[in-house]
Amino acid sequence: MALLAPYLPLPYPPHESDLAHVAEAPYSMGSTGLHWLGTDPQGRDVLSVLVFGARTAVLLTLPAAFLAALLGSLAGGAAGFWGNTRRLAVPYWLLALGGLWWGLRFPVPLVGAGVAALGVAAIVLALLRPRPIPTWPVPINAIVMGAATTLDSIPRLILVVAIAAGSGVSAPGLLALLTLTAWPHSARLVRAQMLRIRTLPFIEAAHAAGLSSCKIWLHHALPHAIQPLRTALPLSIAGLLGLESTLSFLGIGLPPDVASWGRLMSAIRNEPDAWWTLALPATCLIASILSLNALGRSRHKSL
Amino acid sequence: MKPHSSAFFLLCAAIGFCSQSCSAPEGKDLAIRVRCAYDPESLNPLQLPNQQAFDAANLLHVSLLQADFSKKEIAPALAEALPTAELVGDSLTRVSYRIRPAATWDTGGPVLATDVAFTLKLMFCPGVPNETSRLQFGFIQGLIPDPHDPRRFTLECRGQGTEYQQATGDFFILPEAALDPQGELRRFSLAALQRRPQNAPDSGLAAVARRYRALAPGKLPGCGPYQLTAWEKDRYLAFRRKANWWGSRLRPTPFVLQARSQKLAFVIIPDAATASLALQRGDLDIFPQMPAREFARLRKATAARPALSFYSVPSYDVVTAGFNTRRPALADALTRRALSHCFNAAGLLQATQMGEGQQTVGIISPLDRQNYNDSLAPVPFDLAKAEALVRQAGWQRRAGTETGWVRTRPGSKQPEVLQVSMRYRADETTFATIALQFKAAAASLGIAVSLLPTEAGSFTTALRTSDFDMYVRTLKGNPFMFNLAPLLHSRAIGQSNTTGYSGAASDRLLDAIAVAENPTRRAQLLRKFQTLMQAEMPWVPLFFLPTRIAASHELTGLHVTGLKPGFALTAVERSAKSTPTP
Amino acid sequence: MVWPLLRRLFRTVLAVWALASSVFLLSRHDANTATLLFLPDSSESVATGNGNAADYAAAQRAVQHRLGLDLPLFYASQQPNAPANTAQWRWNGTQNQYHRWMVRLLHGDLGTSFRTAQPVTTRMCSALGFTLPLTGTAALLAVLTALALARRLAAKPWWQHPVRAALVAVHALPLFVLALLLLLTFANPAVVAWFPAYGLDQLAADSDNWSRTQTYLLHLVLPVAALTLAALPELTLQLDAALTQELRTDYATTARAKGLAEGAVIRHHALRNALLPTLTQVAELLPAMVAGAVVVEVVFALPGMGRLLADAAAGRDYPVLVGGVLLTGAARLLALLLADLLYFWADPRIRWQS
Repeated sequence: MALLAPYLPLPYPPHESDLAHVAEAPYSMGSTGLHWLGTDPQGRDVLSVLVFGARTAVLLTLPAAFLAALLGSLAGGAAGFWGNTRRLAVPYWLLALGGLWWGLRFPVPLVGAGVAALGVAAIVLALLRPRPIPTWPVPINAIVMGAATTLDSIPRLILVVAIAAGSGVSAPGLLALLTLTAWPHSARLVRAQMLRIRTLPFIEAAHAAGLSSCKIWLHHALPHAIQPLRTALPLSIAGLLGLESTLSFLGIGLPPDVASWGRLMSAIRNEPDAWWTLALPATCLIASILSLNALGRSRHKSL
Repeated sequence: MKPHSSAFFLLCAAIGFCSQSCSAPEGKDLAIRVRCAYDPESLNPLQLPNQQAFDAANLLHVSLLQADFSKKEIAPALAEALPTAELVGDSLTRVSYRIRPAATWDTGGPVLATDVAFTLKLMFCPGVPNETSRLQFGFIQGLIPDPHDPRRFTLECRGQGTEYQQATGDFFILPEAALDPQGELRRFSLAALQRRPQNAPDSGLAAVARRYRALAPGKLPGCGPYQLTAWEKDRYLAFRRKANWWGSRLRPTPFVLQARSQKLAFVIIPDAATASLALQRGDLDIFPQMPAREFARLRKATAARPALSFYSVPSYDVVTAGFNTRRPALADALTRRALSHCFNAAGLLQATQMGEGQQTVGIISPLDRQNYNDSLAPVPFDLAKAEALVRQAGWQRRAGTETGWVRTRPGSKQPEVLQVSMRYRADETTFATIALQFKAAAASLGIAVSLLPTEAGSFTTALRTSDFDMYVRTLKGNPFMFNLAPLLHSRAIGQSNTTGYSGAASDRLLDAIAVAENPTRRAQLLRKFQTLMQAEMPWVPLFFLPTRIAASHELTGLHVTGLKPGFALTAVERSAKSTPTP
Repeated sequence: MVWPLLRRLFRTVLAVWALASSVFLLSRHDANTATLLFLPDSSESVATGNGNAADYAAAQRAVQHRLGLDLPLFYASQQPNAPANTAQWRWNGTQNQYHRWMVRLLHGDLGTSFRTAQPVTTRMCSALGFTLPLTGTAALLAVLTALALARRLAAKPWWQHPVRAALVAVHALPLFVLALLLLLTFANPAVVAWFPAYGLDQLAADSDNWSRTQTYLLHLVLPVAALTLAALPELTLQLDAALTQELRTDYATTARAKGLAEGAVIRHHALRNALLPTLTQVAELLPAMVAGAVVVEVVFALPGMGRLLADAAAGRDYPVLVGGVLLTGAARLLALLLADLLYFWADPRIRWQS
């Protein structure tokens, strides 16, 4: 229904104010038609905002939550599974370093280019004449946990406020921001689970059977490690929906022409009498989270 | 299970507590509590960061002249009478004052012309946080003391204009004896300090700056009626009236020197809903600038139970939409006028302010009968007119399926498209409503508007760097000053002239207004200027906001006016006969 | 066990330092706004002055000088408008903002606030004094209640479904809605005015100790309730899910086969393993406790860390902001150690990571 929103025969578009009928109770007559569910303190039709708000939620919050969960489970899973033991051949290191030097425009960019060329040459050589090349360890665990710690150390709300204060908020920006601030949580959960799982007998059996560690990680370890996310995902969606509305509460939200349940709810602050601006979106929110939760549980059972 | 039940027990106990303490008559002191939305941050009188800080400093310090809320005019405070101005040559003004003989510091010493000289020098003393004052009072280039009377002095100002008389009296006087007992600043003249480079070292000046900075916040001695007794950051500021204040010895006490209430307190409550609850419960006495709908709701709800009084008068703050005239699409007056017809000012006034407030033709308040140009009519909401003007400006509907308007200027190949982005402060719902209405109206004409709600700090930067097509904001005016040069003069482009508008005619008029010899002449020029602005339309003044104040019923003497902060804080008192609120 | 612990500590210190440095360096890009906010916005009001741009620029430079923002930012800086593909880096020596900040930090000085000219440490200490009792109580209550509730839920009583649904419903509501609902219900003279509406306004400080404590507690009830309600569902549901999963494993079946009661299986066998994923969350509560809860602080007008930091971000008060980041970073450091220790206790199979 959310995707069909633009084609529904709604009496009012979601971002147009009916100035003569502001904060009217449900089922009141507006200037061009009935406001089935009333209007908010800015004169927008609550029904339209609810429908289009669902669309915003589907197109913004869900992708953000899923992206964050995906990113988190991959990063956390890798960190938990391999720890700091994974190794990478030196030529690749050289290539990366050289590229970085070039990219940051450090003095004498040719040095960077030279280092990168050296790396490429070494790779080509290694391909031509297979023989053991020296490797350096890649501290996956340290990198992932370091990044997560760094992001987590600033309270999420403060981080979002600071970034939004600096650069303003747009829908794609908010998507990136939500994903960026939400992934460490799932990464931690998955990593913790993975630490436990990798010592279980079936993983050791898989190792013994000679499967490559990537395959074991992807096919055997990860499906079990993301178990905690089943509960966490609906909660994280709720959290993200809440965060978006909290931003509106603090005065740095989405533009008003993007319909949002959260903003509708925060209207109660200016208008304590307008129960419909709180109750209706809250009901929608709770209903959708409950159904997401039920969905998560039913999939859980079917597994 | 145990923690579970213990939590419940705790809750019960707490409820028990509260029902006890809420029902018992509280031993509340009689401080009059005023709501503030944010902390004043700093009470340094040379650099007051916000309106709260200014209101608080107003209790601690006295300036030469102050606004009299009962008569809505400037009245002498520390000065004995309004100053006399004398024009010297064609570029200097001399303004003469005499300080009230009764005025004393808390130590008992008299307030003298040397204190005024000290204050002015402190504004230019390096190392002291004083940039705001420096900017504001840089036009005073010297103080000439009277050789016979230590209280009489003359301020010498660059430039000439009717407003200098008021502007020269608008700073708080600080005590020389307490801040500079060695007289280090006396070694310099004001002009020398003004010319002095910031980083030139001088141990004497550094010592003064150190002493000034070392004072605890709010502990700077002043000659005002109150002293700060407590300042808990983000919680409250408490003031107590000085036991033996000089102003109370004056008979009759002038209005600006009244200090009626024994105790005052600013209570910092960021959220308006919380503040409204506190007001209804009697925990708060005055709620200035109450949100419109809450104000109307409470007024209706408390009609039967008169515990609160409600005041609403027009203010001098005008909601204005501005254009960035540097953008090619908005550079011509016709396009700007076309867009101005897309604002439904009357409807917005009804929706956001419940019909209180006034529509206007310019940024002079309609209350100001002398200067307001009543022969003009406010810009009507007229989409047909807007479309006609758009066509007149050379725009053509885009052919084919695309909507929108394009035009090709002579001399340029690239066709320009009529689409605007509108910036406003994200925390103001009024602006959001205006932006939504404008967007919808413009969309019906096929003009694309993108809305950019911006956080307050970024908004300031965006306006300064002209990173906008249109903006909506409040412009704060007052009934005493008509100096519009910083807002619209071409020499202020890149600084305070955010619209980037310039025109020879408007520059001439603005300069003439600044130096107008008398109010009648000034009124003539101002009226002409309003006509010009309506034709050129660098901004659209939409409506003047009302000042809304809800206060406890027991308070008298609020003198609610459109001036900031909306009421006379020092004249408020609790009426003696009233009973405590239930 | 000591060495890995120290190594871990060192790594987290490094992460916190890197974070604080990057916040410091990034924030200074916006230094222009900080100076702008310091001076009166003459484009906003009709006031004196002739709008001369040169005077304004001079005042702006003076502000920058006073705040120390006129120094170069870092040891090396990229030269603006240098032609492309040339050496654009310039060495600034130790006279730079970052060096100054680091030297002061090593002396334990976080600097002074731009806005209030008070030492950052003073401001943070006074804010923490309000925040910690609030968030600490809430966290404790939430954890204890979650433990109790999850244990009960795992036994599958008849009320498990409605309670789970209610928890999800509460979690779906943003914190500000919860806080506002509590406020508008329990502090509203139109409904029930059981609790004070705002803040710790203790102007009547002449009362005795007992009644002052009483007022203080009374003021904390609603904020603590809001925070507890906000934190409870996630903890409970997570723990509940983990418990349910553990109860399906073989060892739980074995335990049941031994004839243990369901409650005993939960208490003695399943709970410890189920706690594992939850421990991360509990550990994460600590930095959150230090950082305060801006929404609750705004709604109930409490002076805490959350408001301090949010105001600092809005007012571009960078020393306070960086100080807050350092503080939460330190709390995070503690939390990580705590989580690891708890893991070790809960699941001895986990050995210290290299």
